[in-house]
Amino acid sequence: MVNAHFILRQITGARRQSALFVLCVALSMITLVSLGSFNRSVQRSLWRDARALHAADIIVRAHAQLPPPLETEIAALTRNRAITTARYYDFYTVIQKTTGEGSLLSDLKAVEPGYPFYGQVLLASGRPFHEVLTTGSLIAERSFLDRLGVRTGDRVRIGNATLTVKDVVVQEPDRPVNFFALGPRVFVPAADLPAIGLLGKGSRAEYVTLAKLTDQAKLAPVVEALRSAAGESRVRVETYRDADSRVKKFFDNLLFFLDLSGIFTLLLAGFGIQSTLFALLKEQEKTIAVMKAVGAKSRYIIGHFLAVTLLLGLTGTVAGLAASFALQRYLPRLFSGLIPAQVDYAVSGWAVAEGVAIGFIVVLLFTALPLYRLKEVKPRIILGKEEQEGFWTRSTWVIGGTGTLFFFAMVLLKIRDVTTGLYFVGAIVGLVFAAFVLASIILWGLKRLHPKNLALRQALKGLFRPRNASRPILVTLSAGFAVIFAITLVEQNLDASFIQSFPPGAPTVFFIDIQPAQKDDFAKTLGTKGEFFPIIRATINAINGEPVDMAKQRQSRGDNLSREFNLTYRDYLLPDERITAGKALFRNDWQVPQVSVLDTVLKMHQMKVGDTLTFRVQGIPIEARISSIRTRNSSGFTPYFYFVFPPSVLADAPQTLFCAARIAKKEIAAVQNRIVQRFPNISVIDLTETAELFGRIMGKLSTIVRFFTSFSLLAGILIVVSSVFATRYARTQEAVYFTILGARARFVMAVFAVENLLLGVSSGVIALAISQVASLAICRKSLDMEYHPYLAQSLLLVLATTVLVMVVGMAATIPILRQKPVVFLREHAEE
Amino acid sequence: MRPITLVACALTFCTLMGGCKKEEPATARQPADQPKAEGTIVAVGDSLTAGYGVKEDEAYPAQLERKLEAAGYHWKVVNAGISGETSSGALSRIDWILKLKPDIVILETGANDGLRGIDPAVVKRNIDRIVTGLQAHGVEVVLAGMQMLTNMGTGYTTSFVKIYPEAAQAHHLILVPFFLTGVAGDASLNLSDGIHPTANGYKIVTETVYPYTVKAIERKRSKKQSGS
Repeated sequence: MVNAHFILRQITGARRQSALFVLCVALSMITLVSLGSFNRSVQRSLWRDARALHAADIIVRAHAQLPPPLETEIAALTRNRAITTARYYDFYTVIQKTTGEGSLLSDLKAVEPGYPFYGQVLLASGRPFHEVLTTGSLIAERSFLDRLGVRTGDRVRIGNATLTVKDVVVQEPDRPVNFFALGPRVFVPAADLPAIGLLGKGSRAEYVTLAKLTDQAKLAPVVEALRSAAGESRVRVETYRDADSRVKKFFDNLLFFLDLSGIFTLLLAGFGIQSTLFALLKEQEKTIAVMKAVGAKSRYIIGHFLAVTLLLGLTGTVAGLAASFALQRYLPRLFSGLIPAQVDYAVSGWAVAEGVAIGFIVVLLFTALPLYRLKEVKPRIILGKEEQEGFWTRSTWVIGGTGTLFFFAMVLLKIRDVTTGLYFVGAIVGLVFAAFVLASIILWGLKRLHPKNLALRQALKGLFRPRNASRPILVTLSAGFAVIFAITLVEQNLDASFIQSFPPGAPTVFFIDIQPAQKDDFAKTLGTKGEFFPIIRATINAINGEPVDMAKQRQSRGDNLSREFNLTYRDYLLPDERITAGKALFRNDWQVPQVSVLDTVLKMHQMKVGDTLTFRVQGIPIEARISSIRTRNSSGFTPYFYFVFPPSVLADAPQTLFCAARIAKKEIAAVQNRIVQRFPNISVIDLTETAELFGRIMGKLSTIVRFFTSFSLLAGILIVVSSVFATRYARTQEAVYFTILGARARFVMAVFAVENLLLGVSSGVIALAISQVASLAICRKSLDMEYHPYLAQSLLLVLATTVLVMVVGMAATIPILRQKPVVFLREHAEE
Repeated sequence: MRPITLVACALTFCTLMGGCKKEEPATARQPADQPKAEGTIVAVGDSLTAGYGVKEDEAYPAQLERKLEAAGYHWKVVNAGISGETSSGALSRIDWILKLKPDIVILETGANDGLRGIDPAVVKRNIDRIVTGLQAHGVEVVLAGMQMLTNMGTGYTTSFVKIYPEAAQAHHLILVPFFLTGVAGDASLNLSDGIHPTANGYKIVTETVYPYTVKAIERKRSKKQSGS
């Protein structure tokens, strides 16, 4: 039998604690549901995005007309309605103005109607692509118009045909796949190809057949059929799923991080739930003792308090779900622009079910210990003389163990990797243990302090007053803060690595084939600061005298040693490089030629510092000893070289220069024209659009990361509030005694302030120590990136947590101070 | 007799060692290594000369050396091709080329300029300067004629193809009308990229270049005779 009246009284009697409990549950629910839904949206849109990046499900690439058997197969598949196809032809050509002088190398894409099957070609006019690209018309990138000096409506000559510039292309779905182009993109209808007359014998073009599946489930058999029809020919049959997995890997990393921060938030909310419940039950201790004294069984009491928690948990769940649904209205704005294709941000039913189930388990798990503890409440407590048993009883261990197992299961569920799961659970156990040890050390140290100031002394005494849970509070606070600090630090580092990849000064335009004699003049004509890199082409013939097996190298799927490499020379490291092996970039004590190798090369062939590489530099062999191995930490467009030599070795070899410069978008056309006019041999590669796109995506991503990590910050605040509530009773008592003994409110306030200050600073410092070690490990090991400790921000974090603990603590204390001692004494004497 | 045999043995040994150790044909070494060579031919060019994507001994300079040798011309052919090089790059490394002390240079350049749509006038000017520089040092130049891909557009390809005969005429060069005769456009003779010859493709390139090389050798010989 459950007494509804009793349950209601418990809840209304401890409104603040109840509200806090509901908030904690709601927060964990929001985290679970939002993250779950976001995860699903991203996964779904990633595939859609992969399709958009290739504009199709299946892509058949060739450098000539397809072999007849393949054509027959495609025709058969089309007839069976298994696929729909659209072709395009991609080649470079020099497009001429019809009036006046002027021609421009352009990257022509002649497309059939139907292209693109996925994603969209966006035009400046906003009109649909296929409506504009009719026979005789042409759509080009803005830079085409700028550089050739034509406007929409003008006519230009391509091959034997004259076409009209109809519109400007703003976005091309499959552009990022091959963004390294020598000329601007120009679209023409494939129907105009015969008139243009540039394809055929003696031309070089990519013949691409895009296929869209009618039934997505048939991907594998259709690809198999096409591949077998292609046979041994040089035709490549690809699917959007084989696509460059770099983007996917990046998102995997991001989602992994978000999942971790989600689980941490859950953990923090759990701590919050537990400590709120402890506080709630603590206030009811005497009631419980009375109930027991009049014959109530433990089971009856636990049952009733379980009902209280479940009711609160349910309220929290409902509130959390409601908030999640409300949040979905905001999420699209947060994610918009991140992924070109539209993503539906709807709350996924699965995420809700998962969230409710996990939330329920979390509530049960974190309430188990406080509820179980009710058994240990003895009726003698009524007399107020009973000391509590130690915290670390068997029940604590059992419940703690179950909790650990549960979180391990959570990690497995979310991350699906046993090793990571073990690491994670190990990390949490380590975290709590480290927090416990450090808290004990600090408390031990504080106990030995005997300051002269009375308030300070009283505050210190307060920390060690009987029944004051200073250590558990300190452990909970510092563990919680450590997690928040760690998330903040990792986020800062992630952010920094994004920014490093796309720093504000990153180059956007590359100039190739600058001749050494042109360097000074070129730099002057460029008009802005450019970075120059000499390039010397060479092959590697032997490693430690052992000839490189070129045939074997060529079989390697990835990059390999069989190709020609671009060597360079300089005697300094680039800002984004660091040495991972070897004393310095080059050794002063070596007389032989030296070379510094980028760690990427080690993936192609094993080599180490001290090994000798034999290069063939344009007919002349050079033997160089490896002086260092370098790594680079940015993934952006900054130029990098596998092999760097000291200037003395290569400065005299035939070389060309490569220049990377950052040029404002609106000046690019003018600069390009100026350079090409003066140095017609220099080619320009313009990455502005791509760099801009990537920069935008990265900015968006860091917003998302911040958004989700703010949940854990909120959870941290709840913990502070709940732990203050947990000691509210003891504090009230103390304040009353101080007042009775004649202390002024100001003194009592000072004592509490110092106590809170000590708690805040201690937990902040412990958290900082733990989080620095943890974030270093996460950044270096899991995310494989540089780590910066961000000391200034760290100190700010400690300061902020201290202020937070003080503010929350004082906010909870002030009402206590307002209470008249006599009221407190009368109330408690009545019990 | 004895010392001569010894010297011959030593030479053979050196050559073998060189061949094994460096995987580098003796061609790239200093002339002193091969006293029997009558002279040095340096094949200057881009990836088409370097032999992009094929083994070093399958590229045309190595094949040409073997063919000359088989026909009794003991000439050394140095592969001085650089993949991706434009005519501007070739012009910049004239001094480096002259360090190889060439008697004859087979100049194959301009294809990369063409692929980048660079003004044919620039290519023409570069070739003029390269040839002038080489001829000033008494080098006999064989110019390999090049054509441009049809897709670059008629206007471009016509002015491009004219560069070579015009330069040959202006400087009295031996002209290989089209370096890739019988190879360009034939998928079976090119790598999957459609522009770089396979080993078999280079066999044809060698056949194409061979008679003009012989002509250059003869010219060089007659000049030497008239000079001495």
